[in-house]
Amino acid sequence: MTSYVAGIDIGSTMTKVVILKDGLITSIIGPTGPEQRRLANKVMEEALKKASLPFSEIMYIVSTGYGRMNVPFSDRQITEITCHARGVNYLIPEARTIIDIGGQDSKGIKIDRSGKVLDFVMNDKCAAGSGRFIEVIADTLGISLKDVGELSLQSRNPAKISNICTIWAQQEVAASLAQGVKISDLLAGVHFSLAERIGRMVSRLKIEKAIVVTGGGGRNKGLLHALSEVLGERLTVPEEPLITGALGAALIAREIVEESKKNRIDLKTKERRLEEVEIL
Amino acid sequence: MRPDEVFFKIEKQFKDYGSRARQLHKEGRKIIGYVCSFVPLEMIAASGAIPFRVRGSIQEPITLGDTLLETIVCPYYRSCFDLSIKGRYEFLSGLVIPHACDSMVRSYSVWSYSLPYSYFHFVNVPTVCEESSFEFFEEELKNFKKSLERFTGKSIQDEDLSKAIQLYNKNRDKIRALYELRKNDPPLISGTELTMALTAGSGLPIDESNEWFDQVIAAVKGRGGSPLSKGPRILIDGACIDHIELVKLVEELGGNVVADTICNGARDSFPKTEESKDPIQALSRRYLDKLNCPKTYRANKAGTFEGDIANRFGDIGTYAREFRVEGAILYVYKYCDPFGFEVPARKAYYQSIQVPMLHLEDTYSAGNLGQLRTRIQAFLEMISR
Repeated sequence: MTSYVAGIDIGSTMTKVVILKDGLITSIIGPTGPEQRRLANKVMEEALKKASLPFSEIMYIVSTGYGRMNVPFSDRQITEITCHARGVNYLIPEARTIIDIGGQDSKGIKIDRSGKVLDFVMNDKCAAGSGRFIEVIADTLGISLKDVGELSLQSRNPAKISNICTIWAQQEVAASLAQGVKISDLLAGVHFSLAERIGRMVSRLKIEKAIVVTGGGGRNKGLLHALSEVLGERLTVPEEPLITGALGAALIAREIVEESKKNRIDLKTKERRLEEVEIL
Repeated sequence: MRPDEVFFKIEKQFKDYGSRARQLHKEGRKIIGYVCSFVPLEMIAASGAIPFRVRGSIQEPITLGDTLLETIVCPYYRSCFDLSIKGRYEFLSGLVIPHACDSMVRSYSVWSYSLPYSYFHFVNVPTVCEESSFEFFEEELKNFKKSLERFTGKSIQDEDLSKAIQLYNKNRDKIRALYELRKNDPPLISGTELTMALTAGSGLPIDESNEWFDQVIAAVKGRGGSPLSKGPRILIDGACIDHIELVKLVEELGGNVVADTICNGARDSFPKTEESKDPIQALSRRYLDKLNCPKTYRANKAGTFEGDIANRFGDIGTYAREFRVEGAILYVYKYCDPFGFEVPARKAYYQSIQVPMLHLEDTYSAGNLGQLRTRIQAFLEMISR
């Protein structure tokens, strides 16, 4: 019998779904947004459509990420730290350190060859070490988020951004802009500032190679360049860095299904109903 | 009392902390507040007054307190101060503060002129632990005795002190017996229940506290079975954690809190006072040497880093073995100097005994604690069997 499993990763900014069947992966990425946090079902529906599957075919669902508690149809919640470890290990078995740069926080995760978490660090309850920092600055400069990476790579003389606080850094950038500092230099400076902050945090783990970058940060070439310079190491990025958490969740779901088949125990699952989440 | 009645009472007494002291105050007894583990409670009890531990509240935002104390003082201690000046402990007649962390030393004067109590005393506890320190501390204890005698009008005899020492030792024996019930897998008492029971006990006069723990022990034994299902066995390492939110969160996420080093737990309750010695000498030994707090500087007698951390943190290793601990959470308040300075050394020690450790920094605010959820859950996933 074919069995489908799914992982859903509700991040602060993006919601990611991965549906697994044997080795085949279907994935979908949609915004979480302030309103959509209760609409985890919408992203799930899209993923099901893409995989041409009815919801009832999914045997087991693991939710992860910041909003993992807000998924009424998930059978189990597992943190994104454990899920990224599993997902990255599946895609890049030689990975030993993961740097996940998300919308509202960033993490460093050390893993062994089997994808088990050995240690981890997270940034301090503040957006300063996260993708949000770049979002705010891009907004200040009036530049689309998807262009900031490329643009920053044109810089020959990165500006020095001394403020760590996102709001103050925003003011600093605005002031520098008024003084005529080039946008590419400002962006490069912002990326270096963020890279240094993340690098300092991750270095507490005693980094081992290979280093893999996941999350939205993995899509930003300027940030990757700065982080690689700061760490003095080569960085690897999965083809789609956003889905490793959801993939890991799906892999864990598959393992749970297989485990229950092997031991002939009933799978404890929730009633299969896709609906909006009721939150305050 | 039936076990379920006792468990109900544990929760009630925890929530109504101070209600018994308030009642005793109305009956004319003198209640003396204190903070920290370094105040020799035996001395207060021997004077006829009742020692009462001043607590903070993680639920209540610090407001009035911050108009008088700078935020460089740790949030736990600021909360204790905030509640005090808001009148939460209006039944106190006096307050004793020891020379423990810098926050206590530097803010003592603020406490003493902001609060309406008629008695204040600062116990000068040495920061080092050498032969000369004991000599000094014995003299300090005699000063404390005289100051209490002046306040209560009762002279404290050696017999009074010996009797108080015995009562407090009994209390520690009972708490130790309660901890023994955590050795089962899963433990027979949850960390949440134990923290609430200990807190409730610390708000009672010592003889009542002894009866209280007898009831709690009987109830736990009488319940038969654990309120928790098996999960990673966790030790909580830190200063005074007088709230249950952290322990509750760990247990909600599937961990079993089975041991601790905290001030209102093992640090305070495990070391006993020698009963055969001269009481002042015995108290000086217990409070100065046996209380293992990072505020005390202990010379590196081993000569090596490994030997030094083994000497300083050996009790953690003992508890880890005894309670079959599988992971530790080092929970440090922001701006807590004594623990903050020690984090790297403690990390190294946990590595040396091969116990995985999660370091959390917290702001002593119930609203912020949820942000630690992902870290705690990921840590439990990491160490799960």
